[in-house]
Amino acid sequence: MNFTTPLFLSLKLSFITTVLLSFIGIPLAYWLAFSRVRWKFFVESIVALPLVLPPTVLGFYLLIAIGSNSIIGQWYEALCNKTLAFSFQGLVLGSFFYSLPFAIQPFQTSFAGVDKKLLEASWSLGRSRVYTFFSVILPLSRQGIITGCVLSFAHTLGEFGVVLMIGGNIPGITRVASIAIYDEVQSLNYRSANAYSAILLSFSFIILIIVYFINRKFTRTL
Amino acid sequence: MLSISIKKTWNGFRLDTAFEVPHGVITALFGPSGAGKSTILRIISGLEAADAGIITYGKDIWYDRTQRICLSPQQRSVGLVFQDFALFPHMTVKKNVAYGIKEKKRLNEINELLSLVGLSDYAHHYPAQLSGGQKQRVALIRALAMRPDLLLLDEPLSALDWETRRQLQEDLRRIVKQFQVTTLYVTHDITEVYKLADFVVIMDSGKVVKRGTPEEVFLGKRLSTRIQIVGKVVGVERNPIMVAVTVMHGDQYFKTLIDTEELDRLNLKIGDDVVIGAKSSDVILFKVLTQS
Repeated sequence: MNFTTPLFLSLKLSFITTVLLSFIGIPLAYWLAFSRVRWKFFVESIVALPLVLPPTVLGFYLLIAIGSNSIIGQWYEALCNKTLAFSFQGLVLGSFFYSLPFAIQPFQTSFAGVDKKLLEASWSLGRSRVYTFFSVILPLSRQGIITGCVLSFAHTLGEFGVVLMIGGNIPGITRVASIAIYDEVQSLNYRSANAYSAILLSFSFIILIIVYFINRKFTRTL
Repeated sequence: MLSISIKKTWNGFRLDTAFEVPHGVITALFGPSGAGKSTILRIISGLEAADAGIITYGKDIWYDRTQRICLSPQQRSVGLVFQDFALFPHMTVKKNVAYGIKEKKRLNEINELLSLVGLSDYAHHYPAQLSGGQKQRVALIRALAMRPDLLLLDEPLSALDWETRRQLQEDLRRIVKQFQVTTLYVTHDITEVYKLADFVVIMDSGKVVKRGTPEEVFLGKRLSTRIQIVGKVVGVERNPIMVAVTVMHGDQYFKTLIDTEELDRLNLKIGDDVVIGAKSSDVILFKVLTQS
């Protein structure tokens, strides 16, 4: 098998997960930041669960939820004529839930941190809540948006347990870099395992350097 | 004319107030901190809801509890100016002013507005590059650019130093008069009421205690003096016949003499607000009455 395939799969999975998280995470984070419903804490707890849950537990329940016997699994099979579990699409779904808090929490914190007076000024100037979101809240939350995206990308890149539970280890389909390392060590291919590990290590380190650099830059300009 | 009659209770504080704001003039809403002035402004602008009551502007009903009418801030045509400016920090001065303008063809008015407050050269500056006085000028024209029916100012000058405040008071009155917009001005500074307002509504503990022109309300009579200076008593020196009273106005001091009988009649103490009036020959001192 090609050495770069698992790496490419990891990057593809991270990229798709991050894009999905931005599209769904930004409206959800907005709701969490500004809604006054009483049961908000309940949703917040669900979103934060992947932070404390063993990845195998999350993976196990997701597997049950999307397996061939589940409603979602059967629906997907009828629609796409293939199983959702042990497919790349299944991995995307698992990664989405697994990285959810890493995107939502920075988004939510930055939305809630925008001075309420600015929102009130915008409304009193006749602008709708949607217009206010795109013209005031979003530009002033750049730092949180970038942090959330970069963290969910890096977190997805490094996930192992959820991927193994939902996706298994199918070369070219679900065998991402973190699984490949485990595989190579099992087959005593330390040289190959080392190469994957070194690449993932450098990648994660560079991403964190970017996050902290951006944070420092924003803190200075504000 | 804006007409409000509202009730609201929160944290044990009871706001129960009714007054009118005449069309095209400046009305000051005056009172100590915690009198409920800012809450009234928030209720009028639609940012907060009252528990009961009616708010009308001309024939339009903005809020009526019994008819279940409560227009959103966007529907009310109210220009709001905050104490801490609330300029959008990521937008230039020009973009801030343009924010509330919805018709593209009106965007060319921005340059006129900027020159009106002497900020033509600052169109492409960001709020962080401006002084406090400049920021508040931008906030004022941003609110006026959308041509509101009503302009609400919430202690707009209290974050500024005395000299800037003095200059802005003059600008504010000039600009508001030019736009002929109905204005409600919240303040706890008597000097501002005197300098800016045509009418004043005095509030205390959530209730209106007095209303009228500043002279009627504060002095209980009309003055026919040439000059009037509002200030605070900072010194009272008693001699056998006369009393020397020192009054501070901004960063200036005035000393005037009154007789001891007058001192006792006024019950004048250090910290009282007073108006020094001068006719062509003699100087007269009046104590400001803020209580009903």
